[in-house]
Amino acid sequence: MIERSNSIQRVAAFVMVIGTIFILAPLVIAFLTASRSYEEFVQAGGIEFSVGSHFVANIREILFETELPRQLINSFVISLLVAFIKCSFAFLATFALVFYQSRLNTLIFALTIATVMLPLELIVITTYQVVANVAMPLNWLLSILGIANLSEWIFGWRPEFQLSLLDTYIGVAAPIATSCTSVFIYRQFFLSLPQDLPKAATMDGAGPIRFMIDILLPLSWTPLVATFMFWFIGGWTSYLWPLVAASTPDAQPAIVGLAKMANADDETIPNVPLLMAGALFVSFIPVLLIAFMQRQIVQGLNLSEK
Amino acid sequence: MMTDHAISLANIVKSYGASTIIPGLTAELGGGEFTVILGPSGCGKSTLLNMIAGLEEVSGGTIRIGNAEVQDMAPKDRGCAMVFQNYALYPHMSVAANIGYSLKVAKVPKPERDRRVAEAADIVDLAGLLDRKPSQMSGGQRQRVAIARAIVREPKVLLFDEPLSNLDAKLRHGMRKELSQLHDRIGTTSVFVTHDQVEAMTLADKILILDKGQIEQFDTPNQIYNHPASVFVASFIGSPPMNLIEVTGDGQNLTDTAGTVLASLLHTGPATLGVRPEKLRFSDTGIPFEVTYREDLGSHTIILGTLPNGQEINVATPIGDSRVGADRLMLQFNKEDLHLFDSTTGRRIEGQV
Repeated sequence: MIERSNSIQRVAAFVMVIGTIFILAPLVIAFLTASRSYEEFVQAGGIEFSVGSHFVANIREILFETELPRQLINSFVISLLVAFIKCSFAFLATFALVFYQSRLNTLIFALTIATVMLPLELIVITTYQVVANVAMPLNWLLSILGIANLSEWIFGWRPEFQLSLLDTYIGVAAPIATSCTSVFIYRQFFLSLPQDLPKAATMDGAGPIRFMIDILLPLSWTPLVATFMFWFIGGWTSYLWPLVAASTPDAQPAIVGLAKMANADDETIPNVPLLMAGALFVSFIPVLLIAFMQRQIVQGLNLSEK
Repeated sequence: MMTDHAISLANIVKSYGASTIIPGLTAELGGGEFTVILGPSGCGKSTLLNMIAGLEEVSGGTIRIGNAEVQDMAPKDRGCAMVFQNYALYPHMSVAANIGYSLKVAKVPKPERDRRVAEAADIVDLAGLLDRKPSQMSGGQRQRVAIARAIVREPKVLLFDEPLSNLDAKLRHGMRKELSQLHDRIGTTSVFVTHDQVEAMTLADKILILDKGQIEQFDTPNQIYNHPASVFVASFIGSPPMNLIEVTGDGQNLTDTAGTVLASLLHTGPATLGVRPEKLRFSDTGIPFEVTYREDLGSHTIILGTLPNGQEINVATPIGDSRVGADRLMLQFNKEDLHLFDSTTGRRIEGQV
């Protein structure tokens, strides 16, 4: 038996090494490319497997001569907003779904699942219309109810409200956050808690809100932290919607800024070493997060042990 | 001793949609008494307890605790505290915080809170463990924390929802003793729900036996054992349960289906005859009894056998009966140990025995 488990370990180690190479190869290639100058890169005409001498210079250029450092702050704020909105909404929704018995529960849960089935990429045009004028539903409602016509008739003024959230942090973050995948995780977690816990809190005189804040929230800390990390990175790497919703470099997150750098000029070969340096620079925050928080993430998503 | 808060249940109804769990229950649970609600699972006993606590609404009827009518009050205003089967402690709080949580919610000032937590912990012998987390404690200790959490508010009524069924047999015995002593000390009106007849018999001042939401019998353990009000009670209490034999009376003798005369009683017509296994004695004459199976439990022996009509009955004999080894024995029914029940309604027939 000992012999056998040894061979299993050897196979496992082999698979691990293959997987690691598979995952690390692009990073290594990015680093190697980032270490060359533009001229060297153009001359070589492709990837070279040796470390060049321009890495520091490229990083310096990224830091001081591009918009990326400021856009990194945009990314940070947007990702925090995305993660916070997702987690808090999902937490509240799950709390209501699990601890309140209602005939509508199944319907609400189905609608929640529907948001997962409707990714932002599918509804990007409608979302753009709404974010470009968040008062649009209100205008529509006023017009349907005849209030708009009434006002035009009496006051000679037709109410048309206009509030655009394009190029704002919340305008970029909110649509990304409208998906309730965390509800599944929180639901499983809440259902694994002792059933009599809410009853005990009720007997102790704590109302539902008090129960949520005093008991449920501290208990849910691990899944909350894990999903927060998860959605933070998700917000960090989201590309299509920020590209559409943020048109000025000041409002764009770093990922969009990086892509813009690649397409800056159609005439010349893009400065790939600089782009690679930028890519490494943009991804170091999520990489650091995963490196330091991986235990919490695994613990929070692993529901077999509490 | 605290002032006694009796619980009056008047015509309590509970139904979920079309199915009725409790069709109408009236009972007076004495103040300061330890009442055990006993019944098989699904009989509505936990529902009844939850309705007293306010965790479930009544569909009809009134509940009074002391002088207050409480069925429309919020749980926290009823003055009840509850101990749950799975402890339901707050896992992230220390023992002290668990016990003191209700006081914190009620905005009791910290010094008084600490004093009362310490007192409650003392009562259940947890004094040295106040800083621990529930996960660092054994099942018995956790249940004590749950009890301390219940008594710290000095409730009018203590409610127990099968609190011992998660403990192992030895611990259960210890906790039973402690609960009994605790009740003697603080004297709070207590209601205890269980399906375990031993817990009911040992703890209760009075037992309320529930079946399908209806009271089968509400009496002292002694009365319930010696004068079961129905076939249901007779077969539910006692281990092994009471032997029940279908008989016919001719006004003089009771005969079983095979025509064997079992006892001479004045009853006329069909009836169910009940006799406890431990009240049966072997003798040299009497009813023939064929032994099929023996269980020697040390303190006594349980013998399973058949009557002449083929019906199986249990006999529990004290140790040292020399006849026990034989395969064919003679049974003697003592007239004063017999119970007679109506064979259609299952209710006890008084005065015949």
